[in-house]
Amino acid sequence: MSVETVESSTGPTPRKGISILFGLTLLGLLLFLWLLLGFATNSFWTPNNISNLLRQGAMTAILAVGQTFVIITAGIDLSVGAVVGFTSVIVAWLLAAGVPLWLALIATLAIGVLIGAFHAFGIVRMGLPAFIITLATLTSLRGIGLLITNGSTISITNEAFTNFSRADFLGVPSLFWMVIVVAVPAYIFLHLSRFGRYLFAVGSNAEAARLSGVNVNRTTYLAYILSSTCAAFVGLLLASRIGIGNATQAEGWELQAIASSVIGGTSLFGAVGSVHGPLLGAFILATINNGANLLNVNSFWQRIITGLLIIVIVYFDQLRRRGER
Amino acid sequence: MIGLQEGGHRHELRTPAGHPVPKGEPILELHSLRKNYGAVEALKPASMTFLSGEVHAIVGENGAGKSTLIKLLTGVITRTSGEILWCGEPVQLATPNEAISRGINAVHQEVVLCPHLSVAANMFLGDEMNRRGLMRKRAMTDAAQGVLDDLGFNLPASAVLGSLTIGQQQLVATARAAMRGTQFLIFDEPTAYLTRQESEQLFRLIRRLQGEGVTIVYISHRLEEVFELADRVSVLRDGTHVGTRAIGETNEAELIALMINRTIEQIYHKEHFTAGDTLVETRGLTGPGFADVSLTVRAGEIVGLYGLIGAGRSEFALGLYGRHRLSAGEVFWQGRKVEIDSERKAMELGIALAPESRRDQGLCLNLPIGLNINLPVFRKLTRGLTINRAEEAANADRQIRDLKIKTPSRRVLASAMSGGNQQKIVIGKWLSHGAKLFIFDEPTVGVDVGTKAEIYRLFARLLEKGAGIILISSYLPEVYELSDRLHVFRQGRLVGSHGYRTASHEEVLAQAIGA
Ligand SMILES: Nc1ncnc2c1ncn2[C@@H]1O[C@H](COP(=O)(O)OP(=O)(O)OP(=O)(O)O)[C@@H](O)[C@H]1O
Ligand SMILES: [Mg+2]
Repeated sequence: MSVETVESSTGPTPRKGISILFGLTLLGLLLFLWLLLGFATNSFWTPNNISNLLRQGAMTAILAVGQTFVIITAGIDLSVGAVVGFTSVIVAWLLAAGVPLWLALIATLAIGVLIGAFHAFGIVRMGLPAFIITLATLTSLRGIGLLITNGSTISITNEAFTNFSRADFLGVPSLFWMVIVVAVPAYIFLHLSRFGRYLFAVGSNAEAARLSGVNVNRTTYLAYILSSTCAAFVGLLLASRIGIGNATQAEGWELQAIASSVIGGTSLFGAVGSVHGPLLGAFILATINNGANLLNVNSFWQRIITGLLIIVIVYFDQLRRRGER
Repeated sequence: MIGLQEGGHRHELRTPAGHPVPKGEPILELHSLRKNYGAVEALKPASMTFLSGEVHAIVGENGAGKSTLIKLLTGVITRTSGEILWCGEPVQLATPNEAISRGINAVHQEVVLCPHLSVAANMFLGDEMNRRGLMRKRAMTDAAQGVLDDLGFNLPASAVLGSLTIGQQQLVATARAAMRGTQFLIFDEPTAYLTRQESEQLFRLIRRLQGEGVTIVYISHRLEEVFELADRVSVLRDGTHVGTRAIGETNEAELIALMINRTIEQIYHKEHFTAGDTLVETRGLTGPGFADVSLTVRAGEIVGLYGLIGAGRSEFALGLYGRHRLSAGEVFWQGRKVEIDSERKAMELGIALAPESRRDQGLCLNLPIGLNINLPVFRKLTRGLTINRAEEAANADRQIRDLKIKTPSRRVLASAMSGGNQQKIVIGKWLSHGAKLFIFDEPTVGVDVGTKAEIYRLFARLLEKGAGIILISSYLPEVYELSDRLHVFRQGRLVGSHGYRTASHEEVLAQAIGA
C-alpha cells in the first residue's frame, strides 16, 4: 500500500488527507508569522491592529476563493480587481440615485453575475481565451466606471451601509464574518457537491468530462459567474469601508487574489485546489503587508518579499506533488 | 537503407557505424534493476540480457512493470538501484539524451509528441535542419515524406499530428525513432491501436531493421505477434522477471501460465442470448466522418464494427452519442424517434460510450481513480445538495475490485496507473450508470490476456441483464469471435454485414480494405 502515491496529490475531497496536511502547513506558517511579529513589534497583538489585519485580509480572501473556482477549471479571471472598483461605483451611484439599500445591494450583485456570464460567453461561444476576455473587461470596466463618475468619485451617505464595515460582531470585525459567509457555502459547493467535482473534471480534461455527461459549458459559466459575483460582493464591502464609489480602487487586486490562490496550493494548470488554501494564502499575504508596515519596511520591499514567497511556496508544493520520480 | 542528401544533412534510416557487439553477444545487460515509485515496487530486482541483433519480446500482465523497464532503459525515469551494462560497460542512462546518443530509442506506449506541430516537425523535433539559425521547413517536410514513403506508411508529412488517429500517430512515432541512428529500438505495445494492415507495415519495418543489425525489444499483449516476430521472449510478473524462453521452445499456454500463474481455457468467452427488442436503430445516419449508416442493435446482442483506422467507426459512435452534429438520418430508440443532440441526452436515454483514446477522451489523468469512475454518476450519488460520500466510495471500490484495477486505493491519481489499468477505469466508469446500450470503442487496448477474458465475461453479464453492445475494434479476432452481427466500415460507409462467424477472416478483411 502506497502512502506516497496517495500523498502525492491535493485537490478534491478524495485526497482529503494530504489537502489537510498542506493546509496545516500553511496554518503553521501563518501562526509562525503572527508569533514572530508579536515578538518583533509591540503593536502587532493590539486589538486595533488585529481587526485591521482581519479586515484587510477578508477582501482578498473572498476574491481568492472566487478566483480559485476559475483556476480549477484551468482558466483565469484577471478582471476581479476592476469588478471590485466598478461595482463600488455602481452601488454608490444607485444609493445616490435614491434606490433603497436592499435593492442596490441585489442589483450590484446581479451585475457581478452578468459580468461573469459575459466572460463565460466570450470563452464558450466566441472561443476567446480566458486571459484575453477577462483582460478586456479589466480595462473596459475601469473605463465605464470612470465615465459614470466623470473621472471622480461618488460619496456614499447611507450610514447603515458605511457603518457595516466598521462594526464588530462577537468581537470580530463584520468583514471577517463575511469571509465565513462566503467560505462555508463555497466549501460545500466545491468539496461536497457534484458541481465541485465537475469543476475539477473540466480543469483536468474537458473532453473526457464532456463524454461523461458533464455539461462543460454550464460548468464554465458557473465558475466565471461565481468569481465575478465574489468580486461584486467585495466591491460592496470596499464601498462600505471607504464610503465612496471609485472606479480606480482595487488596482492590482486580481494579482493578490491569484497569488493567494496559488500560495494556497491551487495549480494554474487546473484540477488542483481547495477553499481553505486560498483563504490561508490571503491572510498570509495580508500578514506580510501588515507586518512590513509595522516594522517600517519600505513598501517596495513588501512587494519583493511577496514575490519571493510565491516562488518558495509554490516550489515546495510542486516538489511535494511530484513525489518521487 | 535509404538516404536523403539535403543541404549537408543526412537523414536516413541508419544504424550507427560499426557494431561494437557481434550478433548474438549480449548488448544490454540488466543486473538487479529496481524501480520504486514511493512505496510501489514497480520493478523488483530484475536481471535480463538482450542479445545483439535479436527481437526480444517482453510479455506480462497489466502493471507487471514492462513500461517501467522501458522508461528506465530510455532515461525517462531514473532507477532506484541496480546496474545496466551497455556493450559490457556500466552506464547511467540518466537522461533521454544519453540513451539516444548511445543508440537506444523507444516508441512509448502513450504517444508523447506535439499534437499541434506537423508530422515532419515532430519527426525532426530536437534535431531540426537549420540554415544560419533558420529552420528549413520545406526541406524537413520533404525529407520526412521520403522516410514515411520508404517505410510504406501512407501518411502526409505536412499534416498536423493532432489531426491523425492515434494509430497513425503511433506510426509517426515509429518513423521518428527509426530515423534516428538506432542500435537498440524498443516498441511498447506498438500495435495496440493499429489494424492488421498497419501492423503488417510495422512488422516489415521491424524485420528490416533487424536485418540491418538493430536489436529490437517488443512489448505486446498479443501473443500471436510475439510468436510471429520474436527470437526470444521474457515474462514479467509483478515486477519480477520470471523467465526467458527461446521462441521455438515455448507455446502460448506456457507463456500465459508464466504471466498470470494460472491457465485460461478460453479467451474469447462468448455466450449466445436470444436477442430481445430493438434498442436502437439508425437509418441513413450521416455526420462528420461517416455517411448513410443504417444498423440496429437489439437487447442481448453484440454488434461489432470492424474497419481500418479512420474508417469512421468511432465517428459514427460519437455521432450516435450526441458528440458530433448529425447532418442527415434518423435515430430510433426503442422504436421511438429521438434527436440525440448532446451527450447528456444520450446518457439519459441509456447510452454509454467508452471512447477510443483513454488519454484524450477517457480519463481525467491528474484526478483520482475514484473521481474518474464516478464522473458519469455523480448525479445519482447526490442526495439533496451534496454527494453521499459513502456511496461514492463504495461505487469506486466496487469497480476497482470487480475489474481488478491494480491500485492501493481509489485516491491514487489515474496517471499513476499502467496503461491497461487505465483502460479498465474507462470501462468501469460506465458499469454503474445502468445504461442499456454500451458502446465500447477499442475496449481491450493494452489490456492483458487475463483481464481481456474478464472483460468478455463482463460483456456476457451485461447482455444477460438485457443490454446491447456495440463493439468497435481494430483487432479482427476480437470482433470476429464476439459479434452476433459484424458490420464492416470503409471510408465512412457500412460496406458489409455478417452474422456470427458467417464470413471468413479473409472476406471481412477484403471488404475493409476494399480489395
Ligand atoms: N508515475 C507512477 N507513480 C506511481 N506508480 C506508478 C507510476 N507509473 C507506474 N506505476 C506503477 O508501477 C507498476 C508498473 O507499471 P507499468 O506501467 O510498468 O506496467 P506495464 O507492465 O507497462 O502494464 P501495462 O501492460 O498495463 O501497460 C504499476 O503498478 C503502476 O501502477
Ligand atoms: Mg505499459
